[in-house]
Amino acid sequence: MARTLAMFTDVSLCIGCRACQVACKQWNQLAPEEPEWTGSYQNHAHFTDKTYRLVRFFEETDATGQMKQWHMMSDVCKHCAQAGCLEACPTGAIYRTEYGTVNINQDICNGCRYCVSACPFGVVAFNHDTGTATKCTFCNDRIHNGLGPACAKACPTESIRFGFRDELAGKAKQRVEELKKLGYKDAQLYGEDTNGALGGLNAFFLLLGKPSIYGLPDKPKLPQRNVIADSLLSIGSALLVGLGALVAFRSRDDKGGA
Amino acid sequence: MGPGLLKSADWPLLIDLYFFLGGLAGGAFVIATIANLLDARRYRDVVRMGYYIAFLAIIPGPILLIVDLGVPTRFLHMMMVSKPSLEIGMSALTVGPFHLKLLSPMSAGAWALLGFSVCAFLVALDVFLEDRGGRSMSVLRLVAGVIGGFFGFFLAAYPGVLLGATARPLFISAHWLGALFLVVGASSGGAAIALILSLLGSRARESLSQLMRFTAFALILQLAALALFIITVQMSGSTGIAQALAKLLAGPYSLAFWLGAVVVGIVVPLALQLGGGIKKAAPGMTALASALILIGGFLVKYVIIAAGQAT
Repeated sequence: MARTLAMFTDVSLCIGCRACQVACKQWNQLAPEEPEWTGSYQNHAHFTDKTYRLVRFFEETDATGQMKQWHMMSDVCKHCAQAGCLEACPTGAIYRTEYGTVNINQDICNGCRYCVSACPFGVVAFNHDTGTATKCTFCNDRIHNGLGPACAKACPTESIRFGFRDELAGKAKQRVEELKKLGYKDAQLYGEDTNGALGGLNAFFLLLGKPSIYGLPDKPKLPQRNVIADSLLSIGSALLVGLGALVAFRSRDDKGGA
Repeated sequence: MGPGLLKSADWPLLIDLYFFLGGLAGGAFVIATIANLLDARRYRDVVRMGYYIAFLAIIPGPILLIVDLGVPTRFLHMMMVSKPSLEIGMSALTVGPFHLKLLSPMSAGAWALLGFSVCAFLVALDVFLEDRGGRSMSVLRLVAGVIGGFFGFFLAAYPGVLLGATARPLFISAHWLGALFLVVGASSGGAAIALILSLLGSRARESLSQLMRFTAFALILQLAALALFIITVQMSGSTGIAQALAKLLAGPYSLAFWLGAVVVGIVVPLALQLGGGIKKAAPGMTALASALILIGGFLVKYVIIAAGQAT
């Protein structure tokens, strides 16, 4: 495997311009969609089959309901080291590249939609036109030709950075220290730790507060971790059912019957 | 905020129907196999009907699944692709063009459906030939019956495990869905055999009463699994779990859950059977109880899937 590539999104630098979202649409030739009015600057409300990059807007309020801080964050597929979509996919359409990214082979996907519900971040979307599941590829065609992903190239503030994972992780840690010195005491990295949740995210973030402010799960869990325990409980109940049938059909019914 | 982020596969009613029929087929098959092993002559009616029902109930299965796919012509990709990718998951086994992913219940389920269908066909054919006056190939019936029985259990349980391996809050925090779906398969398989035997006016009154004794036991397990499912979800305390559970227990799906799945599907048939139904095994009473069990067996799967998928 080649050296792992990663994307580092520094929320403290994001100005919410959505250049990344537009660049993504243009490079990947994703059709326009009707805007959704949700009472926020954010459009769309969720990732869709035509929106792989999404700038999210969050209004953090204090206990009295007064606006405390306006957060904006450019969200993307995390290309998890332990990916729920990849483990769920029954066709093998979802695969890991030599750079550690997670892609969906559009020629293999048969549209079962299991990955859509297995993603802990709601990234994978179903495309009704092609009948397949789609998501961000880190611009697979670009990164295999030495160009960074379109979103990182377009970002005017370098809020989105792309490169080798180990190098980016070092820069990210430095940046957290800088921000803490400047008084952002809740600044923290999300998904940088390869020993952390999901084995680390290959698109990791610098957040200015708790992950839940940004709508992210505090401790994302690989759904497939349930399979063994759930299967054992099923086997236990199968034994009970089998035993019940043996007892029921062993017994002679003396009171009724023939 | 967290759960608002998540997406749903939005599996439609077709899939609920498949989960119900697959469980019913698996349950009926297992009952027929156990009855066949214990006393093939005495339980001849149960064995015949169980194997016929298992075969007929599984026929729509693959059709329902294929119709639901985004690209139905690629249904074979569930098991094989001509050029597999190298890294398709930590639990993947590949042999030539074939693949099986042990941690993907949908992948394992596709293979189990194939295995079960082969066994169900062979055994149903054997029963059919015997009915037409031929001799039963008892070794084939024994081997295919036992192997198919394991597949049958798998087929009944795996949809629950499959749901548990999604990120939906109601499913990911529940560990009892596989067990629940398995016992629902057992109760609906038993009820389907009992319903048809009682409607045909079977003379085998004794085997009918034993069948009802078994379904009563399965219903008690079903009630226990349902309670354990709700308690486990409640106690998990994960984000968004209160809202997800409220949809099922107090929200838009609560009527179908409490009245349909619990009262009509479990409490009433159990009361009918315990209140003298078992002893006398009156065909009318048995038929009514069995029909209610079948309705409840479908509703309990439908309502949990619908509530878990609703955003």
